[in-house]
Amino acid sequence: MQVARAAPVLGLVFLLLLPVFARYNDYVLQVFTHALLLATLALAWNILGVSGSISLGHAAFFGAGAYTSALLSLDLGVSPWATIPLGGVLAAGIAAIMGLFCLRLRGAYFALATLAFVEIPKVITDNWDGLTRGSLGLVGLPGLPSLRLGSYHFDISGSLAGSYYFVLGYGLVLLLLVTLMFRSNLGLALQAIREEEIAAEAVGIQVQRYRLLSLLLSAFFTGITGACYGHLIRYIEPGLVYGLHFSAMPMIFAICGGRFTILGPALAALVLYPVDQFIFHPLLPAGHEFLYGAVIILAILFMPSGVWGQLRKGHFVSIKTGSIE
Amino acid sequence: MWTTVVVSGITLGSFYTLIAMGFALIFGVTRTFNLAHGEVLVLAGYAAYWLWKTSGVSLLFTFPAAVLVALVVCLILQRLFSRLREPLELNSIVMSFGVAILLQNGMLFFFSGDYRLIRVPTFNQGLHFNTLYLSYGQLTLLALSLLVIGLLYLLMRHTYLGKALRATIQDREAAALAGINVGAMGILAFAIGAILIGLAGPLYGCVHYLYPTAGLQATLLAITITIFAGVGRIRGLILGGWILALAESCAVVLFGASWRELVGAVMLITLLALRPQGILGREQ
Repeated sequence: MQVARAAPVLGLVFLLLLPVFARYNDYVLQVFTHALLLATLALAWNILGVSGSISLGHAAFFGAGAYTSALLSLDLGVSPWATIPLGGVLAAGIAAIMGLFCLRLRGAYFALATLAFVEIPKVITDNWDGLTRGSLGLVGLPGLPSLRLGSYHFDISGSLAGSYYFVLGYGLVLLLLVTLMFRSNLGLALQAIREEEIAAEAVGIQVQRYRLLSLLLSAFFTGITGACYGHLIRYIEPGLVYGLHFSAMPMIFAICGGRFTILGPALAALVLYPVDQFIFHPLLPAGHEFLYGAVIILAILFMPSGVWGQLRKGHFVSIKTGSIE
Repeated sequence: MWTTVVVSGITLGSFYTLIAMGFALIFGVTRTFNLAHGEVLVLAGYAAYWLWKTSGVSLLFTFPAAVLVALVVCLILQRLFSRLREPLELNSIVMSFGVAILLQNGMLFFFSGDYRLIRVPTFNQGLHFNTLYLSYGQLTLLALSLLVIGLLYLLMRHTYLGKALRATIQDREAAALAGINVGAMGILAFAIGAILIGLAGPLYGCVHYLYPTAGLQATLLAITITIFAGVGRIRGLILGGWILALAESCAVVLFGASWRELVGAVMLITLLALRPQGILGREQ
């Protein structure tokens, strides 16, 4: 379909030129920076989502990444460039613990277990005052240092446009990685598991190993995004980074965009979040997030393969909708 | 001190059971998880709060209004749930999560994010039995919870309707073959569930602060107790409610109030890990 080919290219051009269009308007840049961060979360969530598992607990990884990177850079003075990957590693470690308990579960029960699991790192972070300063949160996180390439100097934390382009760059790198993953054996295995787990096992796919791998990768990148978020906002607290927001948003975007596609989740984030902020927020200062509830209800009832999934029909294996009889 | 822990655990646990019963009934009959359960509970609490605040009626008269609100919301929910496709359990989780967000934002719009509490002055007075102290609030909570649980038990065990509901919970196909209108049972489950939530709502508003996102904790405890009990077992629900509340009380005494939220989450994950096929495992 023409739309499906043109849209990503037009979208990329739009995103690259946005700061110029918006005349470096602070509010527009802030909204799109956050939309891009949410898009990376949706991409990372979908590494697990493509295997058919729905997680309601990705805030656990987001918060773990944010806290690890923030504490290491604040207390030990390590450069954020070193602490951000460590945030991803700790998030993956937490995912390994989660996997130990939850990966034997399927479908609805996996989702419920992940929903409950978030409480564990949240309550521990909230109560371990000596290390995390508890519910007060962390203030004055170091910003991201500027990048130097020869004589070229790229300032990230100094200007909103710098932060915007940094998150855009990270998003594109993650998109490339996710594309490679989905086209590799890993991606094929995960899709086979989603369509028919027993058949996948029968042809020799090590189902549990691949599910664990996808959970770890998904958590790693969610943790990295969480760490970046901390250094961009410069302030984190348990209720914020472990909040339902960061569990719900990637799930909503992935399902509305199309969780069996590569681009769908990211596109949904880039469309829905600005629509929420520019249209519904001014109209309804209290309660504008009803939009996310409404779109997910509509998607699950009328378009379970998501908007982008609908446009791309025929480009991926059909979705199994019936249960095994 | 431990008698106080046990008494408050039993009191709160009975109330937890009351909260979980509607969730368990809806899940048992329709095989759908209603993650918006806690939000409907908080909404019923808000309805009672609003009536109590604006017209100054006593708490007793807020129950009909709360039940009415819960009924309207749950019957709309039932219409939405009945349109879901397979896999029903997973899709119901995703959709009701959306409903929860919708209700949270609706409550934020109408009642703002401020913390509200229905203050009944006599609830803070109480009776002394030797070293044991029981407030009238605790007594009301215990008595009303046990009364409603008892009534539901009678309905499920000693009426024809209850028999039909239990048959649907045990085996939908066989129940349909025996001439039970399974679809009607689904609507009925949502209606009874709504009445239970509506009765719990005003009580919830007396013991917990109401705020738009308060529902998640109630949903989690309803899920935990339901998974503990398995479907169709009221006695299991009572036991689950008591164990959860007692464990919470012990955690508060031993480690501090901020660790309370962890108890339910750990209990739910442990239960799920022990029974990986879920509550209906033996049938699949």
